[in-house]
Amino acid sequence: MIESRVRMSIVGVIVLALFGALFARLWYLQVAATGEYAAAAQSNSVRVVNEPPIRGRILDAKGRPLVENRIANVITMDRKLDPSKLKMVVNRLAELLTVSSADIRKKLDDPRVSPYTPVPVAVDVPFGALAYVSEHREDFPGVSAEPLAIRSYVNGSKAAHVLGYVGEINEQELTAQSPGDHYELGDTIGKSGVELTYESDLRGVPGKDTLEVDSIGRVVRTISSRKPKPGNDIRLTLDLDVQKLAEDSLTQGILAARATQDKSFKKGYQTLAAPAGSVVVLDATTGSVVAMASNPTYDPNTFANGIPTPLWTALNDPFGHYPLINRAIAGQYAPGSTFKLVTATAGLASGDITATKILNDRGSYSYPTDPGRLFTNDNRAVYGKVDLSKAITVSSDVYFYTIGGDLYYRQKHSIPGGDALQTTARQFGFGRVTGIGLPNEASGRIPDAAWKQKAHTDNPAAFPYADWLPGDNIQSAVGQGDVVVTPLQLANAYAAFANGGTLHEPRLADEVLNASGKKVRDLAPITIGQVPVPARDSMLTGFAGVAGAKGGTAYNVFAGFPPGTVAGKTGTAQVQDKQSTSLFVGMSPALNPKYIVLAIVEEGGYGAETSAPIVRRIMQGLNGLPLTDVQIFPPANGNGDT
Amino acid sequence: MSAVLTDRRARLQTSPLRHLDIVLVLTPILISGLGLLMIYSATHTGLEQAGGNPLNFVKRQAAAIFLGIVAMTIMTVIDYRRLRELALFGYGVTVILLVAVLGIGVQVKGAQARFDVGPIQIQPGELAKLFVILVLAGYCALHRGDLDFRRLVVALVIAGVPIGLIMLQPDLGTDLVLMFIVFTMLAVAGIRGRHLVILLLLLVTVAIAAVNLGVLKDYQIERLTSFATEGQDIARSGYNQEQSKITVASGGLTGQGLFEGTQTTGAYVPEQHTDFIFTVVGEELGFVGGATLLALFALIVWRTWRAARLANDLFGTLCCMGVLAMLVFQVFENVGMTMGIMPITGIPLPWMSYGGSSVIVSFACIGLVANIHMRRFT
Repeated sequence: MIESRVRMSIVGVIVLALFGALFARLWYLQVAATGEYAAAAQSNSVRVVNEPPIRGRILDAKGRPLVENRIANVITMDRKLDPSKLKMVVNRLAELLTVSSADIRKKLDDPRVSPYTPVPVAVDVPFGALAYVSEHREDFPGVSAEPLAIRSYVNGSKAAHVLGYVGEINEQELTAQSPGDHYELGDTIGKSGVELTYESDLRGVPGKDTLEVDSIGRVVRTISSRKPKPGNDIRLTLDLDVQKLAEDSLTQGILAARATQDKSFKKGYQTLAAPAGSVVVLDATTGSVVAMASNPTYDPNTFANGIPTPLWTALNDPFGHYPLINRAIAGQYAPGSTFKLVTATAGLASGDITATKILNDRGSYSYPTDPGRLFTNDNRAVYGKVDLSKAITVSSDVYFYTIGGDLYYRQKHSIPGGDALQTTARQFGFGRVTGIGLPNEASGRIPDAAWKQKAHTDNPAAFPYADWLPGDNIQSAVGQGDVVVTPLQLANAYAAFANGGTLHEPRLADEVLNASGKKVRDLAPITIGQVPVPARDSMLTGFAGVAGAKGGTAYNVFAGFPPGTVAGKTGTAQVQDKQSTSLFVGMSPALNPKYIVLAIVEEGGYGAETSAPIVRRIMQGLNGLPLTDVQIFPPANGNGDT
Repeated sequence: MSAVLTDRRARLQTSPLRHLDIVLVLTPILISGLGLLMIYSATHTGLEQAGGNPLNFVKRQAAAIFLGIVAMTIMTVIDYRRLRELALFGYGVTVILLVAVLGIGVQVKGAQARFDVGPIQIQPGELAKLFVILVLAGYCALHRGDLDFRRLVVALVIAGVPIGLIMLQPDLGTDLVLMFIVFTMLAVAGIRGRHLVILLLLLVTVAIAAVNLGVLKDYQIERLTSFATEGQDIARSGYNQEQSKITVASGGLTGQGLFEGTQTTGAYVPEQHTDFIFTVVGEELGFVGGATLLALFALIVWRTWRAARLANDLFGTLCCMGVLAMLVFQVFENVGMTMGIMPITGIPLPWMSYGGSSVIVSFACIGLVANIHMRRFT
């Protein structure tokens, strides 16, 4: 018994030691080393899932939806399915949807989809397949059909360049976001056009669910939940009817041009190439964009679900002439004779000319110090005695060469007004972006002495002379040489002239509305400058004559229009090794313009040949005249404009 | 005066209930009440998700606790010296059941250890603990602790029959408990020193083998659906222990609050309402709760050890020491495994883990100790 008692005591000591060990371990885990384990537990069990908000719509000026959200039938799959089942289900789905299993696998492995939401593996599934899946649930564990909001561009390719498109946020955009934006991988973001410009309005506020999940990823409970707030609608200044008219007319014009023999080009082209063009319709009084078209174009609906790689390649193939580029704001062209608006205004501003000053146009001009170099009218046409308005109507190059030469002379001899051409051009908004608020806007170029000096320094081979020479100013005066403008800049300059000198920031959007249609804020017209437009009436008479007076460069094109409907200016810009750029800027009504309608067709020949007929059709629509198809007006032999 | 005294003395002698160790019998009831809360916490979410009654496990456990208290009462009131005779019968029944379970038992998680009788499940392995204690104590006491080699072999055969049968199920956890019980009892009973050493070596060998097998068994048991979100391949055997440790640790000093444990509601720990019940205590009640629970166990162990010392005879002492060994081993192994200092084996935490057989047998064992303790003067 004594022995027993000793052994019992030993047992007691061992028991004490064992319990001591338990206490010590418990203390270590829970108090001493708790931090490292707490972090592990936190990442174990809490997951944050973002719920995307409904994106705002984009409406036209009259409130018609241009972009809305469509509910698409989407087949989703649970990626947490048992691997053996997963394989079977993927194979069955692939067969049902007639896609490859590898495709579905790829989508399943998309790291952008939250692991707590089912992965969309097929969008816009035909009803038959949907029905099959729901009728054979046991064959498709983890598969379900769900509605998904997809961006819908209601009118297909119409206004595609203005509207832009959305896509999944990329790494760059993620890092570039501001701290309050809270974009995450997989979020939708505007990639171009209005979708990009008004991203912060359209997007809305994502919902956020903080979920507690269990060891196999099932949601146990919702810790906190914030409902998404839908984005705001944007009402544009764009008028869908005019937009359609503009695009259709542009397309017609380009197609007709491609079927037209090009008689003037010497490089052996059979027909006009006319690969691309653009149209801008502005409200001259406010600078509002009524229509903006760029051709070739694309259908943003094909991007709504991510751009398939082959499509992206095609869109960026040089032979497709880059349909994604919005040529109305990113295309840069020599303006040709349309630039005479600027030259005339500069001549008047500097006092070099008056509205009534008569010049004898003998068909050519030379600068006094270089009599051997002749600057001629197109086809050496001789217009005789011309005043300002006739010079505009017949597009006398000599008249404007003379202004260019005179201003150069002033520059050389430090007579005031020597830089009037460049100054006036900048007052009209050339040489810098208009600020329309669309991405990738080009700034164009108004060359001057400083620019040329720099160009020579940077690239002496292309610019052998560092000095600003007479020819530079003379060429600039007729919109050639190194002057380049964007279609929007040109239209906006004419709008400023037409409204009496107020230069607006071209505007695309009128107001922001919330989801229930109440106004959130106005996007009022913005004035960015004043251009003095002396002798506006004389010039307007000249522009009206272009379309309405015998001898006007586009008189034939607008034959049959009621008098006083259209004023305008043709432009034919020579481009090295290419056919000429065809330009026409129309104004309507002729003497009190409300609308500016500009068309530019690359390698479209004369201004009156392709672009004026395009503007003609748009003018028919704007003035309630019956529409006729665009018809090319090849220049009569030996006659044309510049 | 003397008549009164005599009367009192007589009552003292005839009513051993007056010496009942209240602490000893109330503490297990307290622990089992806490166990109910913990089982609810560990199971209600899963049951709700499955569309079942969230109180399903709790109700069954409550019924088992009630039966356990009944068993404890019976084991207390019947004089333990009578139990010594009845135990042989119980031992026989247990052995028969252990044989039967191999034939007609239900295969659960790789072991054939229980009968399903309607809604009731019976694990004869748990019963074996009680009767091995009683019969072995009886045999040793018969020889007054004088155990030579031959008697030692007989004693080992008495214990070895149920141990061997349980090995066949296989239920290594229960076997380890039994072996620890037998070793402790034989040691206290007074076997020879060299026999003790040999037994100890044997036990260590078996334990090491069981540890290795235990890990294997864990691998079989926890058929974890692989973690959908975690790319890394957590070795499955390691997963339990890692999650178990995380869960206990995440409780901190004061815990996350009753029913508030994210690890627990998230079902990160497998078998949390049975073998890993301590992780719920750890996470939701923290160090304060976990230490209190351990202290309650220590209290029972101390009262049992005290009962062993105070016992009127060797039979009583050995019974108490057997119960003590059972409790200590189960608590240390179970709690130790949840905290990562013991390998994972399927051993329930007395009164806490969900499981009727274990609860009832644990209560019955305490009844036995209380019985021996209150009859220490008679």
